Amino acid sequence: MTRSLQTRLLVGMIGGMLLLLTAFSFTLYAVISRALVNRFDAALLSTAQMLAASVEVDGNDIELELEAQQIALLNDPERPMFYQIWRPDGQIIAKSPALGTNDLAHLECSPDEPAFEASRRRNGRPERSVALKFMPGFDDEAGSQPGGDRILSLVVTRDAGDLRAELSFLRWLLLLTSIAVVTVSILISAIVVRRGLVPLNTIAGEIGAITEEDLSARIGDADVPTEIMPIRDKLNTLLSRLEAAFDRERRFTADVAHELRTPLAGMRSAMEVTLARERDIPEYESALRDCLTIVASMQTMVENLLMIARLEAGQVSFRAEQILLAELVNVCWRPFAQNAERHRITFENCIQKGMAVHSDVENLSMVLSNVLGNAAEYTDHAGRIRVTGNRTNHCAEVAVANTGCSLTAEHVLQVFDCFWRADPSRKDAGVHCGLGLALVQRIVKALGGTTSVDVQPGGIFMVRLTVPDTTHVH
Amino acid sequence: MRLLLIEDFRALRQYVAKGLREAGFAVDTSGDGEEGLWYAMSNDYDVVILDLMLPGMDGLEILKKLRAKGRNSHVLILTAKDRVEDRVAGLDLGADDYLVKPFAFEELLARVRALLRRSYVEKNPQIKIGDLRIELGTQRVWRGREQIKLTRREYALLEYLAMRAGQVVSRTDMWEHVYEFKSSSSSNVVDVYIGYLRKKIERPGKPVLIHTVWGRGYRLGVQP
Repeated sequence: MTRSLQTRLLVGMIGGMLLLLTAFSFTLYAVISRALVNRFDAALLSTAQMLAASVEVDGNDIELELEAQQIALLNDPERPMFYQIWRPDGQIIAKSPALGTNDLAHLECSPDEPAFEASRRRNGRPERSVALKFMPGFDDEAGSQPGGDRILSLVVTRDAGDLRAELSFLRWLLLLTSIAVVTVSILISAIVVRRGLVPLNTIAGEIGAITEEDLSARIGDADVPTEIMPIRDKLNTLLSRLEAAFDRERRFTADVAHELRTPLAGMRSAMEVTLARERDIPEYESALRDCLTIVASMQTMVENLLMIARLEAGQVSFRAEQILLAELVNVCWRPFAQNAERHRITFENCIQKGMAVHSDVENLSMVLSNVLGNAAEYTDHAGRIRVTGNRTNHCAEVAVANTGCSLTAEHVLQVFDCFWRADPSRKDAGVHCGLGLALVQRIVKALGGTTSVDVQPGGIFMVRLTVPDTTHVH
Repeated sequence: MRLLLIEDFRALRQYVAKGLREAGFAVDTSGDGEEGLWYAMSNDYDVVILDLMLPGMDGLEILKKLRAKGRNSHVLILTAKDRVEDRVAGLDLGADDYLVKPFAFEELLARVRALLRRSYVEKNPQIKIGDLRIELGTQRVWRGREQIKLTRREYALLEYLAMRAGQVVSRTDMWEHVYEFKSSSSSNVVDVYIGYLRKKIERPGKPVLIHTVWGRGYRLGVQP
C-alpha cells in the first residue's frame, strides 16, 4: 500500500466512482435496451396481428388479402419484413413473395401468447421474429364457419439492423461518457484532495520550520480543519513539553556555568594577585588556603551534580540494612550543631529511640545531612529545628521543621529544582548553590520513597521524607 | 583614584581589592547590595565595580538608583552572567563597561584605567605636563630624563592631579579620590603628601609644577 495519503485518497475516490459508474452504465444499458427491444417487438407483433387479420376463410380456401399499404410496409427495402402462414398440419398457406423458395423457420408458440426470437439471416444481418397462432376471419357471404382445425400459425420476421445499431450506439455512448466522467473526476479529485491536504502540508511546513533554537512557535494558529485539530493540539502539547525540556536543559547548563564562574574568578584573582609580586610565606599560605576552600566548595557542587546525574540514570547502587533513625539524625546534625549554637538555634530530635528503617545508610545520611544543613542555614536567629518520626505500613516518615521561613507557596513548588534559591543573589555565595534539596528528592525517590515540602503558618518550613523498608539491594 | 567594589563572593572581593590597592587605587568594598548602594551614594567614586547578583539588592537595581540620583561614577559590571541580553540590560541602564567572570586581573586593571581616563577626558595613557611624564599603565614618573620613585599614595595623588591638570583641585576632592572610606586619615594629610611630592618632583632651575592656590587647593601645571 502506498504511503502517500494523497494517492490513497485519489485511488479510493476514483475506484469508488468507477464501480458506481460501471454499475450505473450496465443498469442503464439493460433498461434502455430492454425498452428498445420491447418497442421493436410491439411493432413486429402489431404487423403480425395486422397480417393475421387479413387472412380470411372462403369456403374451403384460405386467402390472404393484403391492401396496398400493407404490401408497401412489407416490401420496405430499408427494413425488409417477411411472413409465412402455416395450416395446423404444417402446410404453408402464404408467405412473402420475397422469400422465393426459402421458408421462414416455423416457431412454436402457445395459442395465447406470441413468441419472439432473435436470429440472423443468411447474409449475417440480425433479425427478430414473432410467432403467433390465430383464427382466420370467415367470409359471411360464403357461409364459412370457424372451427378448431382452422387455427393457423404465423411467423413474421423483420430486419433488426437498426435496433442493433441503436444498442451499439448506446453502448459506445455510455462507455465514452464513463471515460469522460472518470477523466474529469480524476482531475477534480486531484484538485479537491490536494486542496483538502493543504492544511496538512501547511502544518508539515510549520513543523519543518521549528528549530531547537526557537521552540516557542506553535502549529496551525488559524484555518485548521476540525479533523486535524486533535493532531495539532497534541503536537502543540508535545512542543510545549519539548520547549520546557530544552529550557530546563539550557537553564541547567547556564546555572552550572554561572555557579562555576564566580569561584573560578575568585581563585584566578587570588592566584594572579598573589603572584603579581614577591610576598611573605604567610601571604602565600593564606592565598593557597583560600583557593583550597574554593576548590572544596566547587568539588562538592560537582559531586552533587554527578550524584544527581547518576541517580537520574539509575546508576547508583544501594545496600539495605537496619538503621536506627534517631541515631542517624544525631550523627547527621553534628557538623551543624556548633554553628547552630552560635545562632542560638534550638534543635530537637523527637524520633523514638527504637524506630528503625531498612534502607541504605550512606544515602539516607546524605539525605538527612542535606535537609538538616538546609534547616541550620535558613533558620532564623534563636529559632527552632524539630525532627519528628513516624512508622506506617513498611515505611518510615521523617519530618524536619524549621522556623524563620519566608518562602511563598510559589517558591515551594521550585525548591527541588537544581540551582534554585529563593533569593537569586547569593548571600551564601560560594557555599550553597541550590543543589541540596534537588539531591534529597532524587535520592529519596531512588530509595523508593517520596519527598514533600510545605510552609506552615508562622513561617515554619517543613520537609517530609517517606522512606520505605527496602529488602533488596540494587 | 578611589574605587568601590561591590561583590558578594568573599575571596573574589578580597583579592580583587588587594590587587587594586597594590595597583595604587583607594578601594572600598562591600559584599551586600544595600550597603554597596549606601557607599556609592555617600562618596564620589571614580569607578564602581559592581557584581549583579547580590544579597539585599540586585546590582542592576543599584545601578538604576545611582543613575536616578544623578551619580556619574563610571560603573564596571563584573558578573558571571554572560548572555547578550544581560550585557545589553547592564549597559542600557548606564553601565560603562562589562566584564564576565572569570577574568584576567590585568584586564580588569586595564579596563579600570580606561574608565579613569574617560573620567578625566584623558585618552592618552601617558600624561605630559612640561617635562613631567606619567605613564598610567606602568605607574612610572619621569622629570626630564630622570625617573622619580614615588610611594603608592604619592603616585595616586600625582595621578589625580595630573588627570585634572590645569584645574584647581580642592583638598577634599583629593582626599575623596585618593583615600579609602575606612582610612583614618583626614584631608590635612593631603598637605603632607603634597609636600612629599614637591620634594620629589620639583627641581631647582626647572619650572614649578605644583602650585598652591590659597584657600582653594592645588593645581598641577607649568604656568602659575
